[in-house]
Amino acid sequence: MTLTSKTHSTEDIGSAIELCYSNGWTDGLPVVPPTAERINQMLEAIDLAPAHQVAFIENRQISVTVEKIAINAVMAGCKPEYMPVIIAAVGALADPKYGYHGPATSTGGAAVFMLINGPIAKQLHINSGDNLFGPGWRANATIGRAIRLIMRNIIGTIPGELDRSCLGHGGKYSFCIAENEESSPWPAFHTTRGFAADENAVTIFAAYAPHQYSNRLSATAEGVLTTACAHMRISAGTARQPQYAMVFGGEHQDIMKKSGWTRKNVQDYVFEHTQNTILDLQKIYMLSDSYLNSDGSSQYALVETPDDLLVIAAGGFAGVQSAFIPGWGGKNGSQSVTYPIKSIK
Amino acid sequence: MTIQIYDPTTEVKGRQIQYQNRPKSLKGLRIGLVDNTKHNSDQILIRIAGILEKEYGAKSHIIRKKKSAGAAPHQSIVDEFKSQCDVIVAGIGD
Repeated sequence: MTLTSKTHSTEDIGSAIELCYSNGWTDGLPVVPPTAERINQMLEAIDLAPAHQVAFIENRQISVTVEKIAINAVMAGCKPEYMPVIIAAVGALADPKYGYHGPATSTGGAAVFMLINGPIAKQLHINSGDNLFGPGWRANATIGRAIRLIMRNIIGTIPGELDRSCLGHGGKYSFCIAENEESSPWPAFHTTRGFAADENAVTIFAAYAPHQYSNRLSATAEGVLTTACAHMRISAGTARQPQYAMVFGGEHQDIMKKSGWTRKNVQDYVFEHTQNTILDLQKIYMLSDSYLNSDGSSQYALVETPDDLLVIAAGGFAGVQSAFIPGWGGKNGSQSVTYPIKSIK
Repeated sequence: MTIQIYDPTTEVKGRQIQYQNRPKSLKGLRIGLVDNTKHNSDQILIRIAGILEKEYGAKSHIIRKKKSAGAAPHQSIVDEFKSQCDVIVAGIGD
């Protein structure tokens, strides 16, 4: 296929990697040099022309094309068969409900958390088990990395410039998991967004780092969630977040299954038990005095509705660990969105 | 052996942006100020409006809060500013 991007000549692989560094094209780790052969392999995995616009980022007035996506996917170390997932995720980035500019630019330092559902997760070996948020799986590491490189190189989300993160977190290198649909006590997550269980979908969520908690002392759903709620109750950056992802590891999935708790049971319980009084939030400087006219004893919920708790089954089967992931900003600024992944060519 | 690699960045194509002409003076003009929702942004905007009125002769001001710091002002604010103001002050900060 005819590529129209500017080219740069280098002497060998080593100098190509160094050129990518010196041009500011990497996330700090070495990248795979994007040669025509590798880029074309990426393009051959999908049915879209190189010039096709996958997304238009309104606030930045940036058009994201298939060719540029393929170049960055090569650099991230992706296999060509990952392209449909990346294309779907990039389309989701431009969704007004996701609101790209806010979470990408904010001092809050959110990453793009990606959840993959459907048969494609197994086909691509996207990890949903051991060391869930850690290293060791090419698909998890490079799909998320490709999204970050696309944000950096195509959309201009560069730290200190249009990425004003104060702290950031490790998920900004890559933050991609699959749900363990086989072991889950609940229907697959994407079915809550109107997809059929056998359809492939990616959910993106502007999110802070995972916060892990342990509960080895209770074998009931209520017991596990009591611990979760104690950790979550004052975890919101600004007293309320748009949404939270709640990721339940294997042993806690079993407990939920044995207890017969549905996803809605979990959402309702957590919504109710993570509320604080307005006065308590003011005492710890998480709510401003603009709330002083309200009754200080009234309850203030962590999220707007129970549905804003995204309940997910994933993680290893040894260990009594689960995690919650706070979303970035407020509901007017960004919400998670789920997009279909078109089948592998 | 020479290797050719492809540029991963957005290659800027020339584009013209039409800017509004800047007023030579603020005297008698109506000022619109966009509150970006950040804590105390209303306080700083009130002070800015005061300076523009007292020191630069602006006629009046209105302050309107947008829905999210990360998003452009919503349409009703834009419409109100267009019909009621001559100059807009917009900015963002923490």
